[in-house]
Amino acid sequence: MATDREILELYREGGREEAFRLLVRSYQERLYWHIRRMVLDADDADDCLQNTFLKAWRSLENFRGDAQLYTWLYRIATNETLSFLSRQQTRGEYAGLEAADRLPSDPWFDGDQVQTALHQAIAKLPPKQKAVFLLRYFEEMPYEKIAQVLETSEGALKASYHHAYEKVKAWMKESLEAKY
Amino acid sequence: MNEQRDFLSSRELHDNPFRVSEGYFDSLEDRMLARIAAQDQALAEERPKRPAWRILKPALTLAAMFALIFGMGYGVLSLTHTLDRGTGTTSVEDYASAEEQMIRPLSIINYYQTAEPADETGEIDEETLVSYLTSELTYADLAAIYAQSY
Repeated sequence: MATDREILELYREGGREEAFRLLVRSYQERLYWHIRRMVLDADDADDCLQNTFLKAWRSLENFRGDAQLYTWLYRIATNETLSFLSRQQTRGEYAGLEAADRLPSDPWFDGDQVQTALHQAIAKLPPKQKAVFLLRYFEEMPYEKIAQVLETSEGALKASYHHAYEKVKAWMKESLEAKY
Repeated sequence: MNEQRDFLSSRELHDNPFRVSEGYFDSLEDRMLARIAAQDQALAEERPKRPAWRILKPALTLAAMFALIFGMGYGVLSLTHTLDRGTGTTSVEDYASAEEQMIRPLSIINYYQTAEPADETGEIDEETLVSYLTSELTYADLAAIYAQSY
């Protein structure tokens, strides 16, 4: 995987396309799975990921290097996904609930009952809190980095994650106990 | 079930249950670059072609403004220099004379006559004289008078 420095140097030397290829290759999987856990549907995740890289291509020229490429890309991806979820939201329900209900029959989901219960519980969280939970629980991203991605204070993030954790745990328990 | 069980603490839950189609990641960079090229092409086609005169319009407008300002300035200067109608030119001395005519200070007699009558003797009092000297004459005039006196 190319380093941030290699990608940026290549870009500034005029190798825009090659730099962009390196960028995509280096970050595509991490960004995709982060987006996918938020939207659940494979096609929706593909759309959001492509829009993320398009924005990165248009904005790379103005990238000042005051943050790592990693946090910069995660910020674009998270904002793009939150915008997508906002557009999908209907009738006061958070977007993604329908996709969560379809998980057991989704051909691109291989999770067991417990994993299904987990992702259905996560889908019930408010969008931004969902992003906090996913970044901390699955990516194990330090709060300092999450703060840069979501442009929120670490204190607020810690509180948000704690509440999200307790909610998801309770919903999972409720869902799994109902099945036994 | 154990009500105290924390499902979230299981490390197995960190495993990825989602899948993608085969080759999805291998082809992503090519698909992205193709999409960028298509977007750039679409933007280029949307931009309407501009005729040459529209492109030059700002420069032409600027040139016309300079020509107008120059013409107005030249016209004003020409009018102010044509006091000598016979020759069509005005010398520096003529201009100076005309200026002097326009701003020539009042003579002491005219000043005295326009001022409040000092007294019945008809003589010019010292205060009036000093007032005249300080208000109606420039330093150049005063210097000239002093030079003529000595």
